[in-house]
Amino acid sequence: MGWLDGLTRAVRRGFAVLDSVLNRLYGWRYNPLYHSGALVVTLFVVLLVTGIYLLFFYHIGAPYPSIVAIDEHVWLGRWMRGVHRYASDAAVVAAAFHALRMLVQGRSWGPRTLAWVSGLVLLGSVFLCGWTGFVMVWDVQGQVLVQEGARVFDLLPIFGEPISRAFTGERELPGAFFFLNLFAHVALPIGLFILVWVHVSRLARPGVFPPRRLTWTVVGALVALAVLWPVATPPPADLFALPGPAPYDWFYAFWVPLARAVSPGALLGLGLVALAAGLSIPWISRPRLARRLPPSIVDERLCTGCEQCYLDCPYEAIAMVDRVEAAATGKSAQVARVDPSLCVSCGLCAGSCAPMGVGPAGRTGRAQLAVVRDFIAAHKPAGNVVLVACERGAGGAGNRSTYDDALVYPVSCGGNLHTSVVEYLLRAGAGGVLIVSCPPRDCWNREGPKWLEARLFHEREAELRERVDRRRVRLVHAGMGERGVLRAALATFRGEIAVLESTTAEADIDLERLCEVTEAGAGNAR
Amino acid sequence: MNRLLRGAVGVLVAAATLAGVRLGSLSTYTAETDAHALVRLAWRARGERVRNCRHRTPEELEKLPPHMRQEEVCEGRILPYRLVVELDGVAAVEEVIHGAGAREDRPLYVSRDLPVQPGSHRLVVTFARESRAVGDSAIAMGGLSTPAHLTLDTTVVVASRRVVLVTYDEEREQLVVRSGSVR
Repeated sequence: MGWLDGLTRAVRRGFAVLDSVLNRLYGWRYNPLYHSGALVVTLFVVLLVTGIYLLFFYHIGAPYPSIVAIDEHVWLGRWMRGVHRYASDAAVVAAAFHALRMLVQGRSWGPRTLAWVSGLVLLGSVFLCGWTGFVMVWDVQGQVLVQEGARVFDLLPIFGEPISRAFTGERELPGAFFFLNLFAHVALPIGLFILVWVHVSRLARPGVFPPRRLTWTVVGALVALAVLWPVATPPPADLFALPGPAPYDWFYAFWVPLARAVSPGALLGLGLVALAAGLSIPWISRPRLARRLPPSIVDERLCTGCEQCYLDCPYEAIAMVDRVEAAATGKSAQVARVDPSLCVSCGLCAGSCAPMGVGPAGRTGRAQLAVVRDFIAAHKPAGNVVLVACERGAGGAGNRSTYDDALVYPVSCGGNLHTSVVEYLLRAGAGGVLIVSCPPRDCWNREGPKWLEARLFHEREAELRERVDRRRVRLVHAGMGERGVLRAALATFRGEIAVLESTTAEADIDLERLCEVTEAGAGNAR
Repeated sequence: MNRLLRGAVGVLVAAATLAGVRLGSLSTYTAETDAHALVRLAWRARGERVRNCRHRTPEELEKLPPHMRQEEVCEGRILPYRLVVELDGVAAVEEVIHGAGAREDRPLYVSRDLPVQPGSHRLVVTFARESRAVGDSAIAMGGLSTPAHLTLDTTVVVASRRVVLVTYDEEREQLVVRSGSVR
C-alpha cells in the first residue's frame, strides 16, 4: 500500500529528527527514545514499589476518604501517589513510542510477530490496570470511567445481569466491587511481568533495563514532578450527581469524550476495529514476498563448529547440532543450524563467521568479498577514505554513492559487515575505512554495532586481522538524521590519515583462501 | 553548542516533556456540560414466569433419538411489561420491556435517563404486565413475582446537575423515588 509506505517513511523521518536532537542533548547512550521499551519496565518497577506503599493505607470500605487521608496524613503519601500516577502516564507514553518505533522500523512481522502481539496485550493490560487504579480512587473520573465502561461491557453476553445497574444508585455499591477492583489492580501487574517475559522470549540478551544513569534520571524527574505538581484530589464520586468539572488523566481517559458522543455499540465497534487493526499489523506491515530478505543458511562444509554465530545471533535462531558422519569427515562434531522461522535475516552471523560459512544468501562473508571486489574494480579508492555505511542510519549516507567526496560502500547492517571487507578495502588502496553504524540501542537488528565494534577492536570472532593497520580504521555511530556527526567524523578521520604514509594497492588479494587456511588450522586446534 | 548550553537545553527539553505529562495527566474536563438535571428510571423486576407447552407430532418424535422422545415440550419466559412515563403531562417513554436473555426467561431490567430542566416536575410512571399469550400458564414463584400493575404519580423536585432516581422497591412492592446519596 503506497500511502502506508509514505506514512511509515514520514514517521521514520520524524523519529530521525527527534533522535538527532536528543542524541545531541543527551548523547546516544542516554537517548530515552532508544530505551523506550526498557523504560516501560523501569516504570513498572516504580509503579510496583509506590503501589505497595500506597496499598498499606487504602481501605476498600472507604476508598475516597482513604485517598484523601493518604494525601493529607500519610508520610510521603501525596508524593508517592504523584509518582505512582505520573509513572503510569509515562509508561503509556513510552509504550506508544516503543510500538511506533518498532512498527516504522519494520520490526513487527515474521519472527517478531510474537513480540508485537504480546506487546499489544501488554499495552491493553496497562490500560486495564490504570482504569482499575482510577476506579480505586472513586472520584468523578473513576465514576465516569466505570459507568461508561459498564455500558460497553453490558453489550457482551457474559454477565448475568447488566453491570451498569450497579452504578445507577439503586443500591449501595457492594464492598465486593471495590475488593474485586483492588484484586484486579494488584493481580494484573503480576500478569504484566509474565507478559514482559513472553515479549522478550525470542531475544537473546534482552535489554530489559535502561542504563543506570537514565533510570535514576527518570525516577528523579517523576519525583520532581510529583513534588512540584502534586496530583489533585478531585471531587468524590456521587451517583446522584451529573459528573461535573474534574481533572482527568487523558492517557487513560482519552476515550471518554467519544463514549459520551456515540452509542456503546459504536464505541465497542470502534474498539474492536482498533484491536483487529493492531493484531493485523504483522500481516499488513510485512514486505511483499519478493522484497523479503532470505533467512541465513549454513554451509556445513565450511562450518568449524566454533559456536560464534550461535553466540552472536540476537534472536536465538541458531542452534548447534550434531554433525552427520562427523568422524568420517574429520570435521567438528557439531555444526550450526539456522531455524528459518526465527531468523530475521539480520546477517549478524555472517559477520561472526571467520570461515564465511553462514549468512543470508548474497550477504555471507564470501558474497561480501565478491561485492567489494567489484566495488574496487569500479571505483579506485587510491588513498581516499571509503565510508562503510549502514543503509538504515549513518546520516542517510548508506543510500548514496559518495558523501563529501568519500566513496560510500553500503551495508545492510554494520553487524553484517565481515571484517575481511575492511581489510580488502585497505589492501586495495583505500587510505582509510570509516565505518558508520547506527547507535547501538537503535540498531534494527539489536546487536549489530555492538558486535561490529568487538570484531574490529576487541578481537571477537571474526576479528579484524592483526596485520591490518588500526590507524586507518574508525567506527562512529550516527543515526539517520545525524549528518553533522558523520561530516565531523569524516573530516577528523581525513585529517588523521593525511599524516600517515601513503598506501599502495596490492594486485592480488585472495582473502577467502587466507581465511580457509587460517580457519582450518583454528578448527583443528579446537 | 557548548556543553553548558547543551545541558541547559537538555534540562529545558526534559522539563517540557514533564510538563506535557502533567498536562495530559491532570486536565480539567466536564463530562456533562449541560446544566440540566436527570430523572433516572432504573430497576430490576422479577416479573411473572409463564410456560407454554405443546405436544410433539409423531414425525417430530421420530426424528429424535429414542432416549429424547419426550412428548410434551415446554418453554418458559418472563411476561413483558409495558413502561409508560409521562413528564409534565407529556409522554416521555412508552415501550415494552422484555425479560433479559435470548429466551426472555430472565428478570426485566429497566434503565432510562430522562434529561429535565432543574425544578419541579409532575411524573407519572406506569409499569404494567402485558397479557398472556394463548397457551401460557403461570409458574409459581413463591410470592416473588412482581405485581401486575405498578404506578407512581408524584411531583419531583430536581436541583441543577442532580439525579432523581425512580426505582422499584421489592419489599414494599411499589415504585419509589430516591434522591439521596449513596457511595
